[in-house]
Amino acid sequence: MFLSQDLEAEVSQLESRLEEARAQLAASECPSPPSSYPNSWSIKETYNKKNKKQLDSTRSSLHALLLLSDSALPLGSFAYSSGLESYLAHNKPSRTSPSSTFHRFLKLSIASLASTSLPYVLAGYREPETLETLDNDLDASTPCIVAQRASIAQGRALIGVWERAFRSSFAGEGSTDPAVAAIDELSDALKSCMDDDELGPKGHFAPLWGTVCRAMGLDLQQTAYVFVVNHAKAVLSAAVRASVMGPYQAQNVLASQSLQDTIMKRIGREWNTPVEQAGQVVPALDLWIGRHELLYSRIFNS
Amino acid sequence: MRQPAMPIPSPFQSSIAKPGQGKVVLSLLPPNNPTLTTLTYKYPLKLVPRTGGFVPTPEPSALSDTCPSHPVHLYLLTYGGGLLPGDHIEVSITLEPRTRMVVTTPQGSTKIFKTDPNNNGSNPNVIKGHRKQMPANKHLSDMSQQTLDVRIGRQAALCYLPDPSVPFQNSRYAQVQTFTVDAAAKGDQRSSLCVLDWVTQGRTSRGENWNFRFWRGRNEVWAQDEKTGKSRLLLRDSVILDDETEDSDDSDASESEEDEVETTNRNIHNGLENRVDMPPQAPAGLTPLNIIAERTRPHGVVGTLILSGPVFEDLGAYFMNEFQSQPRIGSRNWSDHAPSSVPEPSTSHKGDVTWTSARVRAGFVLVKFGAKDFETAKHWLGGIIREEGSVIREFGEEALFCL
Repeated sequence: MFLSQDLEAEVSQLESRLEEARAQLAASECPSPPSSYPNSWSIKETYNKKNKKQLDSTRSSLHALLLLSDSALPLGSFAYSSGLESYLAHNKPSRTSPSSTFHRFLKLSIASLASTSLPYVLAGYREPETLETLDNDLDASTPCIVAQRASIAQGRALIGVWERAFRSSFAGEGSTDPAVAAIDELSDALKSCMDDDELGPKGHFAPLWGTVCRAMGLDLQQTAYVFVVNHAKAVLSAAVRASVMGPYQAQNVLASQSLQDTIMKRIGREWNTPVEQAGQVVPALDLWIGRHELLYSRIFNS
Repeated sequence: MRQPAMPIPSPFQSSIAKPGQGKVVLSLLPPNNPTLTTLTYKYPLKLVPRTGGFVPTPEPSALSDTCPSHPVHLYLLTYGGGLLPGDHIEVSITLEPRTRMVVTTPQGSTKIFKTDPNNNGSNPNVIKGHRKQMPANKHLSDMSQQTLDVRIGRQAALCYLPDPSVPFQNSRYAQVQTFTVDAAAKGDQRSSLCVLDWVTQGRTSRGENWNFRFWRGRNEVWAQDEKTGKSRLLLRDSVILDDETEDSDDSDASESEEDEVETTNRNIHNGLENRVDMPPQAPAGLTPLNIIAERTRPHGVVGTLILSGPVFEDLGAYFMNEFQSQPRIGSRNWSDHAPSSVPEPSTSHKGDVTWTSARVRAGFVLVKFGAKDFETAKHWLGGIIREEGSVIREFGEEALFCL
């Protein structure tokens, strides 16, 4: 029963990837190696009217992609610095090159996010029916309260946005998408769960992100890329507000080839990491995030 | 090392075990007599029990309830004080209800060796030659592995405060420690555990500074319902220190290492060339910062302490309290004549220890720390545990053998 569902899901996934690959091949004059992946929905595709269905799906996935990467998406990500604030308090920026302190953090932060959370994003996409287990396991793997609070708050906000805003457009009435069903199930579990049940469902961000992206028609690579790039955006935005750098400098970092390469490299490394193998590669980051609570004054929640 | 006070069962009875495997079952025989009903192990692993060392003082009335039996001390040893490439230690321990066990590693550190033909005798040669004969090396894996699987029954307690793992340059190591507790037990019936897992930058005297290839430590606590057999992950703590050189020279590296294991007396030239091939690995000491050092900076040792269950409740609360009463970071005494408003901290702040303590779910207290070196971390951790005192009261001073 489960097996056949799995297989069907996989078949449809593979089919859509095949279609996409064909479209890319047809449309691309410039080769699109993985590193230039985000540019691979070539504009030419929009003029390719041979395959109406394909066009629609590309357009809607592009649309969903833009929605999910929007910094105005009401997840409250602006409230978290993912440890940057605490890091700055523990590592006084050097006078000679204040931004190198930040660049180190950004790199560590992306590596850590990829090793701890990305496997859950991918699993949430690949196997939405395991969403509740993933949620439990990620909760068990998050070592500090500060990070836990941040992840849960954003995860629940994502469910909220999905239910109130996206669901009606991206999942029709009798939708049979396993991703939609999984989100509904988790959402119901969250509502019926008592607050004092320590081991109940939590609504962690990473696996939900994977499942919601699938429900909205993104492909797996887009899902992973937007997840990491959104994180980078949030950290950079926190850096601007913490007066580490100016807004233009932040955009410069965000646009840089080196950031793109870092992101692609981290995604590549974790692409086949099962969730059991997820773990912290930057032990120092756990300490900084955990010690955020000890800051005398703070402007962020994490 | 102290001699075991109990006769060791003949090693011949362990003929079923594979090399490096060990199995221990601790039962409580009536009336209240903790007994090792199973104890088998095979080279290069050695398990040495010691009972009757410490008997908890039968002071206040409550103690007889909370301390149902005196603890059994188990020394976990490996020949040579560490693991060679290809060694696979696999220890399974079962603590039946109401038993208590202390596990320590009386070797100062768990060394993770790297068999390297052109090293200048940094590994004890005797061991290198000797263990080559062991069947465990036949699969030619250069990774050392250790798995520890402990089942802790209701009201039973494990106190596992081992030496840190010291990975030598270019070594590769993976460790998985799984602790299974009884899901049905509630309140004071719950299983208790105290587990320390720490890793250092290597041999600082040789200039090693996180120069190993790979180190992974994973600790999991599962709650298993004995009736249904279903288990649920309660806690997973996983640290991966990977120099990420595998990515680039994957095939080359693995081939050359197989060679290394096979032919010990390969000529030095080959070995040197081989080293030059590996891009980010400059000679030790001269390396500015490798990727692992970059990610652990400024620490020379990082570790995790996991506490759970009624026996370690007080210790967990103590850690939480110490953590929360640390001085706020970035607070300033704005008036320069008023006395400092921040009271001088106790032992927990001496030295350069950066730490955090969190009460995560299911009553677990998770302490993570980083310190500049092993001595600092040891002194800090031992200091807090001694200051709080409950571990020594319940398990005796010998539980802190490694601290």
